[in-house]
Amino acid sequence: MSEQHILSAGELAFGYRRDLPVLRGVSLTAAAGKLLCVLGPNGSGKTTLLRCLLGQIRPDGGQIMLDGKPLGRYSPRQLARLMAYVPQTPRTAFSFSVKELVLMGRLAHTGLLGMEGEQDLAVAKQAMLMTGTAEFADRMLDELSGGEAQCVMIARALAQQPSVMLLDEPTSQLDIHNQLIIHRMMQRLAHDWEMAVVCISHDVNLAGRFADELLLMREGQVIAAGPPREVLRVDLLEQTYQVKIDLISTGAGEVPIVHAR
Amino acid sequence: MAPADKAIKPVLSYRLLLRDAAILLALTLVAAAACSLVGVAKLSWPVWTMRLMRLGMAATVGAALASAGMALQALLRNPLAEPYILGVSSGAGVGVLLGSVLAGTIGLAAWVSTPVLALIGALATCAIVYGIAQRRGRLDPYVLLLSGVIVNVFNGALMLAILLFADPNGVINMVGWGMGMIRDTVSPTLLLVCVVAVVAGWAALMLRGSSFNALSLGDEVAASVGVAVHYLRVETFGVAALMTAGAVALAGPVGFVGLIVPHLCRLIVGPDHRRLVMYCGLVGAVFLMVADTLCRTVGEWVSLGAVPVGIVTALAGGPFFIFLLRRRNREGA
Repeated sequence: MSEQHILSAGELAFGYRRDLPVLRGVSLTAAAGKLLCVLGPNGSGKTTLLRCLLGQIRPDGGQIMLDGKPLGRYSPRQLARLMAYVPQTPRTAFSFSVKELVLMGRLAHTGLLGMEGEQDLAVAKQAMLMTGTAEFADRMLDELSGGEAQCVMIARALAQQPSVMLLDEPTSQLDIHNQLIIHRMMQRLAHDWEMAVVCISHDVNLAGRFADELLLMREGQVIAAGPPREVLRVDLLEQTYQVKIDLISTGAGEVPIVHAR
Repeated sequence: MAPADKAIKPVLSYRLLLRDAAILLALTLVAAAACSLVGVAKLSWPVWTMRLMRLGMAATVGAALASAGMALQALLRNPLAEPYILGVSSGAGVGVLLGSVLAGTIGLAAWVSTPVLALIGALATCAIVYGIAQRRGRLDPYVLLLSGVIVNVFNGALMLAILLFADPNGVINMVGWGMGMIRDTVSPTLLLVCVVAVVAGWAALMLRGSSFNALSLGDEVAASVGVAVHYLRVETFGVAALMTAGAVALAGPVGFVGLIVPHLCRLIVGPDHRRLVMYCGLVGAVFLMVADTLCRTVGEWVSLGAVPVGIVTALAGGPFFIFLLRRRNREGA
């Protein structure tokens, strides 16, 4: 069971203020081997949902299960070995090299002084090869392009050897080429590496093309959840985004292209 | 180009840390020995032991302030953070003055009252400055610095008020102390208490190097790689306050050491905090020993008496602060 439904949330409720609920009964399941994209307009509660799933804010109601155990029962170190997080913009306060940054993902696997062993180096190397960042291992993060830097952040998350990967709009500041690279990478992590990947996204078409599951959110509630072909419907999208939607067919059985009028 | 078959080289190893430790210890000892021989007064056994004691104080103060500065910079992700600028030193200073007044009036031993009240003052300042500057756990770097400025003014007024109340004629003597001054003599018990506080704080920081590294990715990412961020914040403020209190109880609020030394060390070894903790401690010790030897020698030479080491650190640190501020603005951070 834990293999199938690695991360699940039931009836989550949360508000930063008591009179202003942000999440109003959100449920979702992120299964191993699946890429789940969460879509919804600004302010629909996507990022708050992600912070709940990360265990960084405690929901007012509902519960989150990770690998068959309530999220709150994990220590930060235990959690870091199971779940990794990639933020919207890659940024560091001090200028670290790519290699140093990727090795930071090993923190929860190292001892008292935080020194990396051979195993840690091997895992970091594999993470860099997977993300195509090995060739600039010794460069500084601030010397890289936005796309390259985001790949480094994914490599860092991979170095944690997680079963679940959460990403917060990882491609919102990238060009279309890099958007494709990152989406293909997420798909590969789900399909080839058997991870449960959850990605918050603003790009309905990229999400529809690459995701196995979509979740539409509006005002803290789930409008629809399921495979892209079932979720990308005119009525559901219009309800979610409150704009007129056209669907452009790309062939029988294919995911349609969404066009906002 | 991609070194697919080659294992990546470790960033850090125990061997490298031991080599660092050996080099830095040797440097510190050589600096201490050299500084103890410099001076106008004719070298004799009592003169030499007195100088060594003074160097011990300088080393403790320098190590403490540099390490506390590094820890605050890492925690707050702000290269301009430092105990003096954030008002932690002046908060400890209020405690030291209160402590010496208490020692004079109710007969409590000064080596108990001054460090303990210095710690309380430093902790209170940390809480106030952080409380002003944070909103929902996010810090505005400039609000942080401004709250430090205001708290410094406030603590300065408190110190002056305590002095006027306690001993109006002694105010002029305390001007030097308020600048940060290492004296020729010190109660050995007080020195011991402060050394223990500083070494304990330093050991605590040694264990947090990798967590500090992760913090530079932001609180959320740090938490996701396994850092207990809230706990670490409380602990680091506590440790920085402890080390600052130890330094201020010995020498008053010496400024800018926590700014200059960590930046100098980053230039030498890079940003990895697992190495920086050791570098900041020992380079800080060397830095203040040299600065204070300069003050002592000038004082002996022109028969000025005691010259506050804070003059040297502020004259060097002020322009350095402006340089960092300009660079930060240019980068648009």
